[in-house]
Amino acid sequence: MAVYNPGETDTRQTRAHGISSRPAQVAGHETESDEGKLLEIKDLTVDFVSVDGRVRILNGVSLMARKGEVVGIVGESGSGKTTLGLAILGLLDSPPADIVSGSVIYGGRDLLKLKPSEMEKIHGTGINMVFQEPLDSLNPVYTVETQIGESLKVQRKRLGSPVQETEAERKKVITDLLRNLCIDKPEEVLERYPHELSGGMRQRVAISISTIEKPTLMISDEPTTGLDAYVQNRILGMFSAQRKAGETLLYITHDLTIASQICDRIYIMYAGRVMEAGETRGVLQEPLHPYTSTLVASVPQGFEDAPPLSVQLGEPPDLRNLPSGCKFNPRCSYAKDTCRETEPKLDEIFTGRYAACWRVDKELGRFS
Amino acid sequence: MGDLVEIENLTVAFRSKRREGLFRSGPSLKALDDVSLTIGENETFGLTGETGSGKSTLAKVLVALYRPTSGTVRFLGREIDYKNRKDIAFLRQNVGIVFQDPVRSLNPSLTVKEVITEALIAAKAIPKKDYDERINFITKLVGVTKDLLPRRPRELSGGQRQRVSLARALVVPKKLLVLDEPTSALDVSIQAQVLNTLKKLKSELNMSYLFITHDINVIKYVSHRLGVLFYGRLVEVGDTRTVDIEPKHPYTQSLISHVLTLKQVGLQETVVSEHRPAPSGCRYRLVCPAAFERCATVPRLVNLGAGHLVSCFLYDHQPGKENHALLPTAAATGDDSRVPPHEHA
Repeated sequence: MAVYNPGETDTRQTRAHGISSRPAQVAGHETESDEGKLLEIKDLTVDFVSVDGRVRILNGVSLMARKGEVVGIVGESGSGKTTLGLAILGLLDSPPADIVSGSVIYGGRDLLKLKPSEMEKIHGTGINMVFQEPLDSLNPVYTVETQIGESLKVQRKRLGSPVQETEAERKKVITDLLRNLCIDKPEEVLERYPHELSGGMRQRVAISISTIEKPTLMISDEPTTGLDAYVQNRILGMFSAQRKAGETLLYITHDLTIASQICDRIYIMYAGRVMEAGETRGVLQEPLHPYTSTLVASVPQGFEDAPPLSVQLGEPPDLRNLPSGCKFNPRCSYAKDTCRETEPKLDEIFTGRYAACWRVDKELGRFS
Repeated sequence: MGDLVEIENLTVAFRSKRREGLFRSGPSLKALDDVSLTIGENETFGLTGETGSGKSTLAKVLVALYRPTSGTVRFLGREIDYKNRKDIAFLRQNVGIVFQDPVRSLNPSLTVKEVITEALIAAKAIPKKDYDERINFITKLVGVTKDLLPRRPRELSGGQRQRVSLARALVVPKKLLVLDEPTSALDVSIQAQVLNTLKKLKSELNMSYLFITHDINVIKYVSHRLGVLFYGRLVEVGDTRTVDIEPKHPYTQSLISHVLTLKQVGLQETVVSEHRPAPSGCRYRLVCPAAFERCATVPRLVNLGAGHLVSCFLYDHQPGKENHALLPTAAATGDDSRVPPHEHA
């Protein structure tokens, strides 16, 4: 279903058939009141169109984040995590991206329907994103001070404060911010250009640009990938401080150990679908979906004499050529005929726990 | 276990690009400073440390991509003269390497089969007619399926590319395989598969590994012995289990305590300070909670028994070599000077 000809079938029918015959379901939706809900994605489907045809990157993804919550989006490469983040911000280029259906509700409005000028007002102080590669998101020809200062100016303007700080005041705000991010000698760092900084330092500068605007929702896309454990700890510590300040965070990562540290709830994604969702502790300690189990089993544990890691063989999914039925079935050791024929839908197994697997027993509330 | 590699007082210095004046070159930077370690036969030696600690430099010295500034490297008892071509050839014949980035370490214009064959041609170890047999043998072992052989690297996934790198490194039998962050560019489930393959290979091919990674969970899982580098100096070496359960050096202690595991759910309250290396003496003393006056001099490796070595004055009770020459700075002066824990008691 991933590759299809739009001329043959009606897109919307295909989608409805593929995912669910009933209304779109959002994790936590039924049990929770609308209060405290900051962001709600309903049934988002995104295709990438190229000369080779259409590829479905996201397939009916539903997700919800409450105020002050850290929500993890966990999955391996090609699972659509980044596309999801970009779609929320309206940063997907079209073409190649084509938003087939779905909605992103933020502050009572559907972000997908906003005009670019309206969206611009939400960026920054509303929703903000930290990208994986800081070198790509920083301007190479400006110093750190200029870049952070710029977003500070913009923020003041957005808030409509008539008084702009003097140069000296602004500098002080920026140095304090960098010092909070454990940057040694911030005065020196201010003078430098992005290429003169180390990877961890760059990422912290990128994060400070995002945090200075005090966004309501921050999306961070693998902010610590490629950085070593010490810098990673520092950045995570910084996020934890932000969370205490009541900020909502959407944390995209492929690393379960990080997700288990920082996230309140997690969504496990595979091939553009949510496979399992729920409270972090529950999902990681008693996974319902075999894919989640695979991820958990992939974290090396024990010493040299420990038994081999129990991981099913197989390569990550090729989105252009997905199997029929459950997309995980070629790598799943429990796959039976049903799994190869029909795709399971994301179902509430018990309160707050969702899984898309045929083998999960709804009555018993566990994997069978 | 006999010793396959003996490294003694290895120092590798790089000259700084920044020049002081027209003719004077800038100060040199020691990527590795007086490092001594051994790797036994059939042993996996894990080497860890943060970015810039010199892990990769050590790897590159072992395949003669870098030359030591001073110190000796002995392989199978033979001292390697890095200016002698025969010695370098000997080293490269016996040591294979797998790099972190499988994209940049494979020639994009060659097919998988050509990539692997190239290693055989370069080694001149077996006659041409046996190439196919050897390639079949090794690809089967590392899990590169036959249908991948005519493909080019860009048509492969990350895990497959890393397996090809592995096949290339091992197609000529090696005594030592240097693995420089072999799995950090891979997805977690693929990393687990590659780790399983590596463990299986080692038992079948009888070789040693030097496994370099900053991921403590991975290094614990693969290595017999563990070495910890901090800004070019080896601060602690020992049996993996011992080092993990009873880390001695304050740096190793902080390292082990910050390992992320799945067991601790919920946020850990940690604010880690910047790891600024000290210009002299113990490199860790500026951030070390236990730093005291003696730390202004360079500590030596102290044997705590059973091959557990640590380079820290907290465990070096021998008097005599204290407080020579070097100027005390920051943490080691005035108000900031602290008493080591054992002297409190």
